[in-house]
Formats: sequence, structure tokens, C-alpha cells
Amino acid sequence: MHKPLKEMHPPVFIVTHWINAVSMLILIMSGLYIHFPAFSGFMGAARGVHVFFGIVIFLNCLVRIVLAFFVKDATTMGTREKELDIRNWLPQKENRHQFFPMLRWYLFMKKDYPISAKYATMQKLAYIMIAVMIIAISYTGFCLWGVTNQLAIFAVGNNLVSGLFGFGGGGSLMPMRVIHYCLMWVLIIISLIHIYIATMHGFVAWRMIFLYKEDPDAGEHVDAPAQA
Amino acid sequence: MAEIHKEVYGMAVATDLYERLAAHGITRRDFLKFCGTLAAVMGLSQTAVPQIAAAVGEAAGSGLYPALWINGAACTGCTESIAQATQPNVADIVLDILSLPQMETVMMASGEYAEKAGEEYAAANKGKYILICEGAVTEMLDGNVLRIAEKPYVEILQHYAEGAAAIVAVGSCAVDGGWVRAYPNPAKATGVKAYLDANISNPKKRPPVVNLPGCPVNPLEIIAVVVNVLLTGDLTKILKDPVKELNLDRQNRPKYLYGSTIHDNCERRGHFENGEFVYQFGGQAEADNYCLYAMGCKGPQTYRHCSKLRWNNNMSWCVASGGPCIGCGNFNWVDNNTPFRQRMRRIGAGVIGGPGGLGIAKAGAIVGGVVVVGIGAHALASKATHRIGKNSTLKNEEMKTYDARKLKKKGGSADA
Ligand code: SF4
Ligand code: SF4
Repeated sequence: MHKPLKEMHPPVFIVTHWINAVSMLILIMSGLYIHFPAFSGFMGAARGVHVFFGIVIFLNCLVRIVLAFFVKDATTMGTREKELDIRNWLPQKENRHQFFPMLRWYLFMKKDYPISAKYATMQKLAYIMIAVMIIAISYTGFCLWGVTNQLAIFAVGNNLVSGLFGFGGGGSLMPMRVIHYCLMWVLIIISLIHIYIATMHGFVAWRMIFLYKEDPDAGEHVDAPAQA
Repeated sequence: MAEIHKEVYGMAVATDLYERLAAHGITRRDFLKFCGTLAAVMGLSQTAVPQIAAAVGEAAGSGLYPALWINGAACTGCTESIAQATQPNVADIVLDILSLPQMETVMMASGEYAEKAGEEYAAANKGKYILICEGAVTEMLDGNVLRIAEKPYVEILQHYAEGAAAIVAVGSCAVDGGWVRAYPNPAKATGVKAYLDANISNPKKRPPVVNLPGCPVNPLEIIAVVVNVLLTGDLTKILKDPVKELNLDRQNRPKYLYGSTIHDNCERRGHFENGEFVYQFGGQAEADNYCLYAMGCKGPQTYRHCSKLRWNNNMSWCVASGGPCIGCGNFNWVDNNTPFRQRMRRIGAGVIGGPGGLGIAKAGAIVGGVVVVGIGAHALASKATHRIGKNSTLKNEEMKTYDARKLKKKGGSADA
């Protein structure tokens, strides 16, 4: 018999993860096309889609953060024991000390895999980063979008970065464009690492987060890291 | 003036104006077309055309508003832009609404006489005149890097600014330093507003500044502001709340002139939406007037109305003549928009505003490549050390013991 895994990611988080993944993919592709349309085709559509999914991913991120305070999920892999997601998300007292051992493990300086919580401590920090990144990219996106960029909250940002990067004040959009674009690369890099680590120990995590499935083979070695 | 505004350009007013226009070889039709363009630019409906015509008709040639035009560090392109007409045109008539005896580049007087005349004119109209500034303010060597009539320009600017009712900064140089302040900005150039904000400490003594960025300014941009003032009618009211009355945005630009991008009103926009681009000059795509985005057109982030205003007596404008917009209406436009033929600024290379640096696509590809190679190497090494695969991890039980030891108490949140 395999150990229970469904509590790792409750259905609502599977939905938000799907929305995140799909939006990100579409945003990256449409964004790259907007940056430089390497072939003729569909600029109007690319821009429309980009703005639409930009709003979707931003709202999704907010919803996900709010839900973290209300939805409970598994404390670790292979258990039905649950606690509030935000507790699992933030580094907990019980497992904060795993940060350096974990780093050592990734750097081949440690043999045993030090994880006992839902997420490894480094992983928790990375996931916090992702939320911050999505908010930051959305913000820079709204700073660029003609419909919103004269609103005080975004005009301030444009002024700030154009001053900061030696481009003079006045809210030139170019520095913000450059930042928006660079942040995309940071997010791509984080995502690549995320996918790699999540797949290191087989496809258990994939089945959980995409299909809400308990892995029939996971019976003996459920202690695989619980990547989301 | 109020009555005339309500009237459709009354004949009494119009006859005089049309006579003078006719003397310049301009028909009534030309004039109304011009007013129509202005209405369009200012975002007014065409029903405002008679109103504009009446206001201009009444004020034309009256020298209604005393004004002084001073030049800082500039190429005089803005002056040329104003004087671009090969023959007197409608624009001149409107500009005559300003009484502008002092305009160094084009006025007859020179030397001491000119300076003195300017001084006297300013003194006579103290607190009433509109100061039009062209050119950057250069602060290097305490402003001595630019001296006019044995005085640093910064001193001249400050002096005239203190007596002005309002300031219009024409052209990018006056707005924020323009190309003069491009990296490495050896003359320490800045804009009129920034300079005055820093050097006239009492904000009440600082006259309001209207910014008209662009390299050069388009005469119609100045005219639109003049007409805006005429339509509002009451200068005192305007000066009380210029931001509202002249509809200025956060950068003190009139919203009706800078509220939409080049791209919003570009005639090639259809090609943009369809994804039809010019990728190199000289091909069929260029002959078909395809969109210049891939050639580095900065239209999408440049707020200006060039397609409506056009240049050289309405002849053409950058994109219509086949050149990508280089974003000359942007702030610090040279640093921000170079390389002109590329989509984005380069990054790196010392100061981010400097030349050289790395194309942003290349930078992304390099970093991305390093990460992919890194992940690959890590995966191979992990495989070799049996860290990859399902059997690669500690059992929960072992981990719990480990955690407990660490916490020096029973615990950890792992299951049983
Ligand atoms: S030519 Fe420039 S301004 Fe015109 S549609 Fe293309 S990108 Fe926009
Ligand atoms: S189209 Fe662009 S480059 Fe040309 S004048 Fe207008 S803002 Fe300047």
C-alpha cells in the first residue's frame, strides 16, 4: 500500500498552480514575441493575451497568498496530518535548521537528504521569492501598460527607476521595460531550477500537483522531497 | 472675449483676420483646416473649430501676451522649427498672439542693445510675461560652461524666471537637458524645471513650468498651448491652477499633447497588429510601409502626437517618411533610446546610461545558458552519486530523529 499524498496539495492549490504554470508559459511566449517579433504574425493578439494573463497571474498570486491563511495541507509527505498552509510555507521553527544541511546536500557536501517538513527550508524561501517576483513583475507590467501607467502608484515607480538607473527622472519607460524583461529571465531561471529539483526524485510531485494523484509506486520511498 | 466664444466666428472679427490671412496667401479654408487640426490635437470635437477660430481671430496679431524667448545650451533646432515655414503661414498668425520682441536667434538687434532691450522689456512687464526657454541648463563650472553676454546662462535664466508669470520649456533640452545631457553629460546639463526647483528655494516664487518635450518642439505644440490659454480666456485664473486649467500631467506636459503614444495614432499600426514588420531597410516590407517596430521604433513608449501634428507645414513625419521613431519626445531620450535601431537599451558597461554594454537578449541568453548548463552538470553529478531517482532520500523516521536531535526536544512535524 502506498502512503497518502493527496493532502500535500489540496485541489484549490492544484488549480492555482495550473493557472500559474499556464499563465507563466503564455506570458513568457507572448512577452518574448512583444520584445522582438522574430517572425510575422500576431502582435495584436500577443499584446492582448499578455495583458490578460498578466492580470490573471497577479490576481491568482493574491488569491493564493490569501488562501494560505485559510487552507490546510499536509505537514509532510505521506501523512494525512494537516496544518495551515502558511505554516508549511514559511520556514518553521522545527525545520529552520535544515537550511544549511540542505544547501550542503545540493552542493554534494552531505550524503543524507535533510527534509522532514512539507517543503525544505530553502524551497520555502524560493516559493516566497516566487510570490514576490510575480508581484514585482506585475507591478513593472502595470507601470508599462498605457492604461495604468499614469496612476500615482505606478508613476512613482517609473520616476524612481528612471532616476535610479541614471536615465533621468520624468518617468521614462525604457528602464522599466528593461527591468520587466530582466525579471522575466529571473523567473524563468527560478522556474527551471524548480522543475529540475521537483523532478530529481521522479515524477511523484508532478502527479500530485498536476493530477491530484497518489503515486502507486511511492509506497516505499515516500520521503521524496515534496516539490510543488 | 466671452461673447465671441459663444458666437460662431462673428463676421466682424473674422473679416479682419481673413483679410490679413489673404494677404499672406492663406484662404479661409486653410485657416479652418488648421483650426480643425488644432481641435483634433487638443482632443476637442470638431464643434470646437468655430470657437478656436473666433478666439484666434480676436487675438491674432494683438501681441496679447508679453513673452521672452531665451536660449540655453541647444542647437537652435526649436527656433528653426518655429521658423520652419518657407512662407508666412497660419501658425505665424497665432504666434503673433505672443508679443515676442526678444528671441535672440531671429531678432534684428544684437549685442548690448539686444540685452538691454530684453532687460527693459522684462522690467516693464514684470510678473506678467511668459518666459519661453529653449535649450538645456548647464551647471558645470557653476554654470560658467555657458556664458551669454558675459553672464552664465544659469544666472540669466534665474533672473528672468523670477519675473515671469509662467515658463514654457520648449524642446527636450529645456525640459530635461535633452541630447545635451546624454552620457557622459560633460556639461552637467539639466532641465529648466529641475534647475529652478533646486535653486529658487521659495516654491511660491517659482513660476509654473509647462513642459513641451520633443527634439525639436513642434510649432503646433506651442500654438496648442496658446490656443488653450485663449480658450480658457483668463490668464489669472490659469496661473492660479495651471495644472488643472492647462490640463498638465505629472511631468507638467499638457495632457492633450502628450496623452497618447506615437504608436497609438500611427498610420502603420494596422501592420503592427497584424505582425507585419520591416526587418531590414530596402526590402519589399519597407516598400509596403510595414511597421518599423523590429527596426527599433520607439513609438510604443513615446508620448507625442507627431502623426497628427506632422512636420514642415504638415508635410510628413518620421514614420510616414520611413524612419522609425527614435523617441525624441521621451525623457532623457538619447540615453534611453539608443541604440535607435534596437528594441531596447543595452545594459552593463559601467554606468547603465553609457555606450557599449550588452544587448539585453544576449545577456539573457548568456545567463540562461549558464543556468541550463549548471542544472545539467548538477543532474549528471547527482546521477553519479545516486541522488537522483526515487530511492535517493532519507526515511522520515531517520529525519525526525535528526530534527529532534537538532531541536534537543521531541518533535518535528513528521508523521508517524
Ligand atoms: S511604426 Fe512604430 S509607431 Fe508605427 S505602428 Fe509600428 S511600432 Fe508603432
Ligand atoms: S515620431 Fe518620434 S522621433 Fe519623430 S519627431 Fe515624433 S517623437 Fe520624435
